[in-house]
Amino acid sequence: MVYSVVEIDKPMRILLVEDEKKVADIIVRGLKAERFAVDVCHDGQSGWEAANTYNYDLIILDLMLPGLSGTEILERVRRKNQSVPILILTARDGMADKLKNFEAGADDYLTKPFAFAELLVRVKALLRRGPVSRASVLRVNDLEIDRLSQNVHRAGKRIELTAKEYALLEYLATQPNRVFSRTMIIEHVWDQSFQGLTNIVDVYVRHLREKVDDAFPVKLLRTVRGVGYSLSDGTEA
Amino acid sequence: MNTRSISFRLVAWYAGLLTTIFLLLCAVLYFDLRYFLENDLRQAQSRRARQIANTLLAHVKQSGETYVVSQTKDWFEPEINDRFIRITRGDGTLVYVSGTPQDGSFDSAEIPILAPAQTTEFSHKLKLSGGNTLLIAALNFKSDGNPDYLVEFGALLDPVESMLDHLFLQLALGLPLAVIIITAGGYLLVRRALTPVEQITRAAERITQFNLSERLPVAQTGDELERLSVSLNRMITRLDEAFQNSQRFVADASHDLRTPLTILRGELEHFAGDARLDAELRERAGSLLEEVAHLGKIVEQLFTLSRLDAGEAQTEWTRFNLAELAQTTSEQMNLLAEDKGIAISCEASQPVAVNGNRVRLKQVVVNLLDNAIKYTPQKGAIQLRVFASNGHAVLEVVDNGIGIPAAALAQIFNRFYRVDPARSADAESAGLGLAIVKSICTAHGAEVEVQSAVGQGSCFRVKLPLALD
Repeated sequence: MVYSVVEIDKPMRILLVEDEKKVADIIVRGLKAERFAVDVCHDGQSGWEAANTYNYDLIILDLMLPGLSGTEILERVRRKNQSVPILILTARDGMADKLKNFEAGADDYLTKPFAFAELLVRVKALLRRGPVSRASVLRVNDLEIDRLSQNVHRAGKRIELTAKEYALLEYLATQPNRVFSRTMIIEHVWDQSFQGLTNIVDVYVRHLREKVDDAFPVKLLRTVRGVGYSLSDGTEA
Repeated sequence: MNTRSISFRLVAWYAGLLTTIFLLLCAVLYFDLRYFLENDLRQAQSRRARQIANTLLAHVKQSGETYVVSQTKDWFEPEINDRFIRITRGDGTLVYVSGTPQDGSFDSAEIPILAPAQTTEFSHKLKLSGGNTLLIAALNFKSDGNPDYLVEFGALLDPVESMLDHLFLQLALGLPLAVIIITAGGYLLVRRALTPVEQITRAAERITQFNLSERLPVAQTGDELERLSVSLNRMITRLDEAFQNSQRFVADASHDLRTPLTILRGELEHFAGDARLDAELRERAGSLLEEVAHLGKIVEQLFTLSRLDAGEAQTEWTRFNLAELAQTTSEQMNLLAEDKGIAISCEASQPVAVNGNRVRLKQVVVNLLDNAIKYTPQKGAIQLRVFASNGHAVLEVVDNGIGIPAAALAQIFNRFYRVDPARSADAESAGLGLAIVKSICTAHGAEVEVQSAVGQGSCFRVKLPLALD
């Protein structure tokens, strides 16, 4: 079988190997809602067999599995020289573990407990193999973000932002209507040392709101309680 | 020199004791010899006096006094032998007195005539004007039918005295020398005996929570020190086990909590994001999600601690400028402070180079600043200072906030410790921020201390070793 053209109508097929049935359920439900086709295996052996038998567009692997461990599956898949992207899910996030799995050929790494939004962003990034949007100008409703000059305009009016405010707004604008968790924002806009300091995001969003939304009737920055923030393009309720 | 150290005290006791014994011994030797020699001399003189009395004076009636005098001269030749001889009658008149000896050591005329005494034999010492001492033995001679006589026989005490003086000098010079040799020898011996203690101490000081698998050196000598190091090693083994258990517990607990948290979070996100459900239900799900996020944060921090316990902060060390790190961090957190109307002033203009894990040390600055912002009321002020002092890089975070009660200061760095469990500002934190700070500092060989006064503010100070050029 030769794939010369990506078939647009054909859903992307994802293999999920996760022994915790409830965790698997949540991921499957979420991915299906995003129109992915998902196969689930609950142990290492059947996971490896499925990965060996079918051609998947992406494999999501839990590390702690009965039978064959996630790392072993990862190594076997890579030994067969498969270029399928692999996302690791784990309850351990020590630097050493992370490095070991990246060396074994993992493409990305997500630590439990994660927000589904984080998983989805990573899945989509892996499937597209590249940044979500490379456009030099992002447009969300009447907001315009020029990524080259870092200028922001709303309804033609220039908005002055600090560097961090700009980074935050640009990050939210890469996927309008998508909810970003505070952890995702911290990791993207700040760095690891700010982990656990999620209230800093709230303060920045409030400042961003004053500059971007206060003067306009349509509010673009949305708070989803307990989940995070999104930049709405005004099409969703 | 440490006057309380075992080696000092042992040597001091030992030297003191030996010196005392030596002094006593010397004194006994000196005085006993003195007594013996004087006594010996005295007996020799009285023997001669008796000789004159018994052999010559006993027959004075037949021989006459002149014979006694000439015989005495013949026998003793007092002028040649440096002797003093005098014979007086019972009424005090002189029969004979020896002349001044040839070396002129005394003048016989100078020696006073004694009043007749009741005792038969006696002796006395006479200090002469020339500085010499004469030991004189006297004998009252009484016999029936003869007149009474007093026979005095004297000899110079000086040979005895000069011998004793010589002995005294020898002892006075020898004793300090002996004490010095004894003390030095004792010190060396004690040092040798205590060297293993020194080694054990140094090895014990090197052991921290990160190398509990190391053991102290055990000298195979079969002595008390071997027993000490063996039992210390057993104690370290038990510590190691206890530490590993608690570390494993934290690691396992934070690990095992992650899966249920993932499920809770995933399910609640579904509710919160499902537009078909009514708004209040979604709001409730959101509220629960906030709690799940809080739980997640605690688990995350516990996990961070367990990784720090396992020595994570001791990897990926680089050399960097702490002042610059503090500056950028305070800029990044400035908005958080401004939000409460708090001004952060950063005094870190001079570069201060340190070695360490940059990410983790940044977390120290973040946590300390976050803490200061949390416990400083509106319109307060926070100072962040970085400077070099006495070979240390010092980082200070000073606030004028609510402060910490003295009773809580000692526990402030303990895990899950809260000054006031009811305090609302604490509600969203896990009580692990300062424990993480402490753990990172320990891993860097740094000290962290706090000074505080309730109502006036707190000062957290981190002292790191400076990076050497």
